[in-house]
Amino acid sequence: MSGLSPRHWAGLALLAAFAIALPFAFEPRGYGIRILCLALLFAAMAQSWNIVAGLANQISLGHAAFFGIGAYTSTLLLIHFGITPWLGMFAAAALGGAAALLISLPTMRLRGHYFALATLAFGEVMRVIGNSWGGLTGGPVGISVPFAQPSLALMQFRETRSSYWLMLAALVLVTLVFVAIKRSRLGYRLRAIKENADAAEVIGVDTTRTKIIAAVISGALTAALGTLYAQFQFFFDPDTVFGVASVSVRMAMIAIVGGIGTAAGPILGALFVIPLEELANQVFSAQAAGLSQLVFGLLLILVILIEPRGFMAIGPRLQRLFGKGDRR
Amino acid sequence: MSAPLLEVSGVGKRFGGLQALSNVSLSVEAGEIVGLIGPNGAGKTTLFSTLVGLHRPESGAIRLDGRDLVGLKPHKIAAAGMVKTFQNVALFLESSVLDNVLTGGLMRHSIPDARALARRCLERVGIAAIAGKLARDLSFPERARVEVARALCTEPRVLLLDEAMAALNHAEMDAFMALLRQLREEGLTLIVVEHHMRAIMSLCDRLVVLNFGQMIATGTPEQIARDPAVVEAYLGRSAA
Repeated sequence: MSGLSPRHWAGLALLAAFAIALPFAFEPRGYGIRILCLALLFAAMAQSWNIVAGLANQISLGHAAFFGIGAYTSTLLLIHFGITPWLGMFAAAALGGAAALLISLPTMRLRGHYFALATLAFGEVMRVIGNSWGGLTGGPVGISVPFAQPSLALMQFRETRSSYWLMLAALVLVTLVFVAIKRSRLGYRLRAIKENADAAEVIGVDTTRTKIIAAVISGALTAALGTLYAQFQFFFDPDTVFGVASVSVRMAMIAIVGGIGTAAGPILGALFVIPLEELANQVFSAQAAGLSQLVFGLLLILVILIEPRGFMAIGPRLQRLFGKGDRR
Repeated sequence: MSAPLLEVSGVGKRFGGLQALSNVSLSVEAGEIVGLIGPNGAGKTTLFSTLVGLHRPESGAIRLDGRDLVGLKPHKIAAAGMVKTFQNVALFLESSVLDNVLTGGLMRHSIPDARALARRCLERVGIAAIAGKLARDLSFPERARVEVARALCTEPRVLLLDEAMAALNHAEMDAFMALLRQLREEGLTLIVVEHHMRAIMSLCDRLVVLNFGQMIATGTPEQIARDPAVVEAYLGRSAA
């Protein structure tokens, strides 16, 4: 029931080897590898979002709140107290989890659009706070991670490929958490809530508590990834890390395009969306203002029209169409 | 006489301008099979939903083994041992039959133990053969039985069945009633809402009749069949 077949394991091992070796095919400090890093990071973010949105169908549009909290927490700890981002990342996760708990208490009773709107508002509130509390965050001007000699201890690297491996490790870790949750009692409960919350309650699922646990794990992981983002970009401002379009919606969109609720969905989604976005920018940004976003948006709409359940649903559909005709 | 296992006293529930339940009182002894009958809209399903905590009554008390359940969330009431099935069937459609039933067992067990228990429940209800199917691919009678298996998997003391026999043919209904009698022998207490009078009359020790949210009669099936108030509620005044 659980475990994978030897063939699957072999496939996964091959995939892992390919993913680890991939940076050697790129220019060490080039543009391509940076895009790959961002794709991996956003895959991990979408995977964290997937824990609460994919498994319980609580579609959050406010995950930027946790992401930004994570980015600011580790960066401020580094600036003011010289605390390494490795520890800062745990502080970020703790604060992100606490924020998720705080926002979950009033919003987890809400379903559907109401939950999405409430979380959207929460993310926006955090952005406004980030912009106006200049004394802490540096305000709209943004904040820089103090540059030091490249060292693993400070999570700063000479070559982008080291960042790549860090992002890859983060993605693998978050995906393992997602898979472990999906197979656990928590996963069964979340699925029950997603499919019929009243029925779940009646047969003994504490739906509120279950959703809050998932939200806290999701928020904590998202915040930890905020730390990785800060250490990767070295500079950020409230509009970037708390942004609706740049973070919240993008996380959701990546998971939805790839296949919401599946482990591979966010990964496929990110590897498609992030490079596509960059490509659209490169090709069309010289033509007319906004054209790149328009093309990018149209492509996304096309994908969703073709298969609303995401890339993960395309495989089985093709199988049904061609190969295995024994279905009917 | 020992104290009743379930004691409902003076329960009232209002939805806006509609008094769905008013002053409903009934008590059920351990090991009884009680039939809850009444015309459509009488409040049977509302009473079930209120008993398991999906609705909070404005007045009255619901005691299970002496403990007041009013205000508790459904999962707490499930933990106390009272579970209902849904009339319109509320399965987890994208999950397998086994996973549906297993989820009921998770309240008290680990996943492997819940899975073993779920298989036994499926066997008891007679649908072990469809354990691997997706709930969404089932026929309505199959779904209703999965619903019962899932409720059984929570290991309840009191099971509320809301038209679980709808859409069963006569042979299936006989088998199902045999199962309910067997469960009662094992100590389960049952309250059933059912429209099949044949089933109700042969299965239940006692009937409770609701009409317009009020209890209008209670007694053995024979007494109820002769009760003028019940005949009037079902057939209208002139028939009585």
